[in-house]
Amino acid sequence: MILAAKVALVCAGTVVAGTTMLCSEGFLRVKVTERGAQPHHIDVIAPAMLVPIAARFASHFAPRQKMEEASDKLQPWVPTIRTALSELNSLDDMTLVDVSEPGDHVRVEKLGSSIVVDVDDTDAVVHISAPIRAISSTIQQIADAADSDNSWRAN
Amino acid sequence: MRKQIQAIPVFCLLAAGLVAMPHTASAAPADRYLHVRVEDTSKSENVNVNLPLSMAETVLPAVNKGPLHDGRVTIPAGKSNGIDIHAIMEAVRTAPDGEFVTVKEKDQDVSVSKVNGNIVVRVRDSKKSGQTVDATIPMKVVNALVSGTKSNELDIAAAIRAMGDAGDTLIITVQDATQHVRVWVDSRNTQE
Repeated sequence: MILAAKVALVCAGTVVAGTTMLCSEGFLRVKVTERGAQPHHIDVIAPAMLVPIAARFASHFAPRQKMEEASDKLQPWVPTIRTALSELNSLDDMTLVDVSEPGDHVRVEKLGSSIVVDVDDTDAVVHISAPIRAISSTIQQIADAADSDNSWRAN
Repeated sequence: MRKQIQAIPVFCLLAAGLVAMPHTASAAPADRYLHVRVEDTSKSENVNVNLPLSMAETVLPAVNKGPLHDGRVTIPAGKSNGIDIHAIMEAVRTAPDGEFVTVKEKDQDVSVSKVNGNIVVRVRDSKKSGQTVDATIPMKVVNALVSGTKSNELDIAAAIRAMGDAGDTLIITVQDATQHVRVWVDSRNTQE
């Protein structure tokens, strides 16, 4: 009975530790609400730590040429993007861009340690919130995708 | 009782530290922001951009592409048209306040002058719906742009740094019948 309790405690501890680790980088949220007679709603909340892993995984199945093109274009800009994101992360919350015209409103904000994009137009309302660290890791994954894809295929 | 007496100086030290902390924090230079606002009344469009200067200052040296490298831009040999930018800047820097260039045409007036340590450019164009352009660039920024660079280089990162030190500045306004563009620097991260 004591052994069973110990095993349960270890399992519960592992689950709690795993969940804590998974959620440590915050969450990516994508919420889309279409307008119209039969509006569709999409609301996805995923641990941000999974995003770069998903990007790496997806890169193995995306067309190789496309991944190499994306990687080649992104690679020279990775240090710049990382520097910009790191600097952005250290700043106070602020609106970076706000564009409004009849029927359309786009806002890009830095809130906490996330970049938040809100688009409100005639077709849909879109809300995307992504932790800055996850964006940085994902860009690095895509930039490295071509190299890792080659080694993955070689193995 | 003795312990309580010993605790008094410690408490005083902590209190002094707490009082001093905000002063220490406020001594650090405040972040400066570049703001761009475009209003188009004919289309009811508004564009607002807020960019921390510290970010631009940090990111620019990381960009090494084309003519931009280490925060400096190199003017290609064939593009300068024989104009020595450094010599012009030096002449402007040492010149007293006054109007340097005045061009008056039927539909357009252009003037470039130096006023209170700023380079002021004014354009009035009656052809383009009475468009007016006013640009005020602090001399500090102009100096930073050319100081310590080769004759065909401009130090953009240094200019941004100088812009941050120059205080609240309205840099450019463009106004015509329907559009209004403003570019300015201040210490607020909003446009309110």
